[in-house]
Amino acid sequence: MTGRERQDRRAAIAFVAPAVVVLAALTAGPALWVFWLSLRERLPVFGVDRLTGLGHYAFLATDARFWSAFRVTIIFTIASVALELVLGLGVALALRGQRVGRRSALSLLLLAWALPGVVTARVFEWLYYPAGGFVNVILGAPLNWLGSPTLALPALIVADVWRTMPFVALFCYARLLTIPAAVYEAAAVDGASRSATFRFVTLPLLGPVLLVTLLFRTLDALRAFDLMFVLTGGGPAGMTETLTVYAYRSLFQTLRLGFGSAIGVVVFLLVMLVAAAYLRVLRRQDATA
Amino acid sequence: MRRRPLAADVAVLALLTLYAVPFLWQLLTSFKPEAELLRVPPLWPSRLTLEHYGVVFAQSAMPRALANSLAVGVLTTLLGCALGVPAAYAMATLRVPGAGALMLGIVASTAFPQIATVSPLYLVMRGLGLRDTWAALVLADASFALPFVIWLMTRFMREIPRELSEAAALDGAGRWLTLLKIHLPLTAPGLASVALLTFLFAWNEFLFAFTFTATEASRTVPVALALFPGVFEVPWGDIAAASILASVPPVLIVVLLQRWLVRGLLAGSLTE
Amino acid sequence: MTLPDARNILTAAAVVAVVLLAGCGERARPDGPVTIVFKHARMFGDDPVPRLIAAFEARHPGIRVKTEALGASSDEQHQFFVINLEGARGRGAGFDVMMLDVIWVPEFARAGWLLDLTDSLAPGELAGHFPAAAEAARWNGRVWALPWNFNVGLLYYRADLLARHGLSPPRTDAELANAVRVIQAAERDPKLDGFVWQGKQYEGLVCNALEALWASGTTLIASTGEVLPDPARAEAALARLRGWIDAGLSPAWVSAADEELTRRAFGDGRAIFLRNWFYAMDLFEEPNSPVRGKVGVAPLPRLTEGVGAPGATGGSLLGVSRGSRHPEAAVALARFLASEDAQRVLAGGSVLPTRAALYADPALVAKRPHMPAFRDLATSARPRPLTPAYLMLSTSLQPEVSAAVVGVKSPARAVADARHQLEHALSGLR
Repeated sequence: MTGRERQDRRAAIAFVAPAVVVLAALTAGPALWVFWLSLRERLPVFGVDRLTGLGHYAFLATDARFWSAFRVTIIFTIASVALELVLGLGVALALRGQRVGRRSALSLLLLAWALPGVVTARVFEWLYYPAGGFVNVILGAPLNWLGSPTLALPALIVADVWRTMPFVALFCYARLLTIPAAVYEAAAVDGASRSATFRFVTLPLLGPVLLVTLLFRTLDALRAFDLMFVLTGGGPAGMTETLTVYAYRSLFQTLRLGFGSAIGVVVFLLVMLVAAAYLRVLRRQDATA
Repeated sequence: MRRRPLAADVAVLALLTLYAVPFLWQLLTSFKPEAELLRVPPLWPSRLTLEHYGVVFAQSAMPRALANSLAVGVLTTLLGCALGVPAAYAMATLRVPGAGALMLGIVASTAFPQIATVSPLYLVMRGLGLRDTWAALVLADASFALPFVIWLMTRFMREIPRELSEAAALDGAGRWLTLLKIHLPLTAPGLASVALLTFLFAWNEFLFAFTFTATEASRTVPVALALFPGVFEVPWGDIAAASILASVPPVLIVVLLQRWLVRGLLAGSLTE
Repeated sequence: MTLPDARNILTAAAVVAVVLLAGCGERARPDGPVTIVFKHARMFGDDPVPRLIAAFEARHPGIRVKTEALGASSDEQHQFFVINLEGARGRGAGFDVMMLDVIWVPEFARAGWLLDLTDSLAPGELAGHFPAAAEAARWNGRVWALPWNFNVGLLYYRADLLARHGLSPPRTDAELANAVRVIQAAERDPKLDGFVWQGKQYEGLVCNALEALWASGTTLIASTGEVLPDPARAEAALARLRGWIDAGLSPAWVSAADEELTRRAFGDGRAIFLRNWFYAMDLFEEPNSPVRGKVGVAPLPRLTEGVGAPGATGGSLLGVSRGSRHPEAAVALARFLASEDAQRVLAGGSVLPTRAALYADPALVAKRPHMPAFRDLATSARPRPLTPAYLMLSTSLQPEVSAAVVGVKSPARAVADARHQLEHALSGLR
C-alpha cells in the first residue's frame, strides 16, 4: 500500500468511526441485545435476572393472546397495504395529467402522510365518536366504531390507509412522470385501448416502483405502533392488538423485560424475513429486466 | 397525449380536498365553541372561538412539549448530520474497509422495528441515568436517523463526478476541505431534504418518547397529545386544538418546503 | 488539513455534543430550607389538599412542601412511578411523598422503592383505619404506607323507582333481575337502562371481575399461590358478567364503560342500578343533580343466599420514597395527612376517609346521611389480592375478562386462557 493509500485508509476510518461507534451502541448493539434479553427472565421490580432459555418462546407458541396478535398483525398488514396500493395507484394516475394546482394537490395529499401518528389517532377517534362524530353524522347511524369487536379493526385499517396511501401515490406519481409521452403515443398509434395501455404499458413500467413501495409499506405496517396504541389501545378485547402493542404492554406496563423482548424478537424476525423475501424478488426482477 | 380538460384538474383538486377532510374537520373542531361540539348537524358552528387554544396554552403540557419536540428534533438532525455526512463522504469517495458489509448493515438497520430495540435502549438510558432528558430521545432517535442520513447522503455524494475530487486532491486539498468545499455545496439540496425528513421523523416519533419520558415537563408533543388529560370526560375541542398545534411543523414542511420533502422521499427508492 | 487535525475536530465536536446533551439532563437541587416534593393526583371538585399543606407548613416551619400533579389514570401514574423509581436506582427520583393506589404497595415495597415506616409509627397508629385499608398498607409484616382515602364497590339504586313499584333493594341476582324487568316494563322508557357497571378493558374491570369471583365463592389467587384455583366457579363468575348483557339487564355499552361513563348515566337518571364506588354519592347529591334525594346504597347482590358478595376496596395511601433526601420531613408529612384531623378536612371535600371513627362523626354524617351505611360496607369490604405481582396479574387478566364480557370468548375459554397467562406470569417469580 502506498503512503497515499495508507493515508486515505486512515482518513476513511476516521470519517466513518464516530458514526459506526454510535450505530454500534444504539442500533446494532440493541438489536443483538434484545435476543439475549429474550432468553432471560428479567423483572426489575422483583430483582429477578436469570437465564430461562427458550422458555418465553415455548410459552408464546401455546399462547392464545400471541396468536391472536399475530393474526391481527397479518390481517392489518395485508389489508392496509393492499388498499394503499390500489388507492395510491389510482391517485397517481389521476394526478399524472394534472396541469393546474399540482403543488396544492400534493400538499393536500401529503398532509395525511406527514402528520404524527398520534394526531391521526386523535383525528379518527373524534371522527368515529359514536354520539356526534363526523362519520356517524354523515352515515346517520349510531355505530360504535372503536367499541365494537367487529368494526374496530376495519376502522383502524381505514385510519392507517388514510395516512399511508399518499406515500404510495407519490412514488407512483413520480415514476409516471418519467415515462415519456412518446411511449403512450406509440401505444395510441398501435390502436391500444385505455385499459390495454394501462395493463401492458403503464403497469409493467411501474412494476419496480410498486414492488419497492410494497416493501417499504409492508415493513412499516408490520412495525406500526403509535396509531393502534393511541386509537384503540389494542381493544376491544384485543381485537386490534397487534404484536407491537402486545410486546409494549408486556414490556412497560409491568416491566417484564425478558418476556416482552421475546415478542419484540418475533416482530424483528418477521420484518427481516419479509424484507429478505422481497429483496430476493427484487433481485430476480432486476436480473430478468 | 390528449391534454386533459381543466374540469378534470378541478375535480382532482376537489377530491383531494375531500381526502384532507379528516384533518380539516379537526381544524374546524378546534375553533368550535364547547357547547356546539356535539350538536351536529349543522356542521359549521355559529361562531369561531379561540377558547380551546387558550386552554391548551394556559393549562396543558403542550407549550412545554412543543419546546421539547423542537429541541429534540433540531438536536437529532444536527447529530445525525454531524456524524452521518462525514461517514457518507467516506463511503462514497474513499475506500472504507468493509464498506459493502457496512452499507448492508446500515440499510438493514433502517428496517429494525423500534419495539425490538426499545427494551435494550431502556436499559441503556437507565444505566446512563438519562430518563426524562433530551439526550435520551436524541440518542434513541439517532438510532434510526443516522442510518437514514448515511444511506441517502452516500447516494447523493456518489453522484458527484470523481474528477472533481481528484482535481481538488491534485491542488493539495485535504479530505476535509474537499468535503467542505466541494461535496457539501454540491449536495446541499440533498442534505436539506435529508435534514428535513430527519426533523420530521423525530418530531413525529412516539414509541421512544413515550418510554423514556415520564414527567410532564420532559414530554414531547406526540406524548403530550396521547396523554392529554380529561378528568371527567374527553375534552374534544381542547384535544383538537392540541392536535393542530402538534401538526404545525409537518404542515409547514409539506406546504412550504414541499420540493425538498419530495426529493428526500423519492431519493430512497428510485434507481436501485 | 492533515489527518490529526481532522481527528481533533471530531473529538472536539463529540465532546461539545456530549456536554450539551448531558447539560440537558436533570440538575441538582439547590440547598436551602428543607423542601420535600409530594406527588399526588388532583382531586375531584374542591381540592382540600392545599389547605392541609399550608397547615402542615405552619406547624413545621423548617419544611416547605412542593406539590406535583400526577396523570389522570391509575395506569399512567403507575408507569410514571415505575419508570422513575426503577430508573433512579436508589439515587432519589426527585420526590419524597407519593400518593399510591391501593394495589401498588406490595409491589413497590418488594422493589425496594418505599421507606419502611414501621418504626416511625406510634403503636396502634393504624388501628383507627378500616381493616381492609390497613391491610393494604402492610407487606411481609412491615408497614410501608399510610392509608389516606378509601373507596368500596357497592350497589347504587333508584330508591324512588323501587318504592314506586313496591320493591325492596335487591339482595340477590334474581331479585335484581326481577326489579329491572318490573321497572322497565312499567316505566316504558327506552332510555332507562337496567344495571350498569364497568366492563371496559382496564383495572376497573378487574374490580368487577373480582367481586364476581368472590360472589361465586372463589378467588383469583388461593393462599397456596395457585391462580384461579376453581375454574368452574371462575367460569360461572364470568358467565354471570356476560349474562347480564345477554339477558338485556345491562346495556351493551357497559363493555366499553368506565366509572365516569356509568356514573353519569345513572346520575342523569338513565339507569336503575349502578355498581360504583363511594365517591359517586356526593356527585348524585349535588344541588342540580337529576337524581338528588333518590339514590339508595346497598351491598352488591349475591349470587346465592349462602355466599357473601363483598365489594372491592379502592382508594390511596401515602408512601415515602426510599431515596428521599429528607425522610424525617417526608414521614412527618405523611403522618400528618393521614391523621384523623386531616382526614376530617378531606372528608369535607369529596374524598372519603379510611378512619372508621369519622364515619360516625356528627358533622360529617350531617353532611352525608349515608355515612353509617358506608361504614357497614367498608367493614365487610375485601382488598384486591395483596401481592407484588398484582399489576402483572391484573394486566394479564384484563384482556381475558374483556373478551368474555364482549362475547368474543366463551367464559370457559377465557378462564383457561387467563390461567395459562397468569401462571406464566407468576412462573417468572419462582
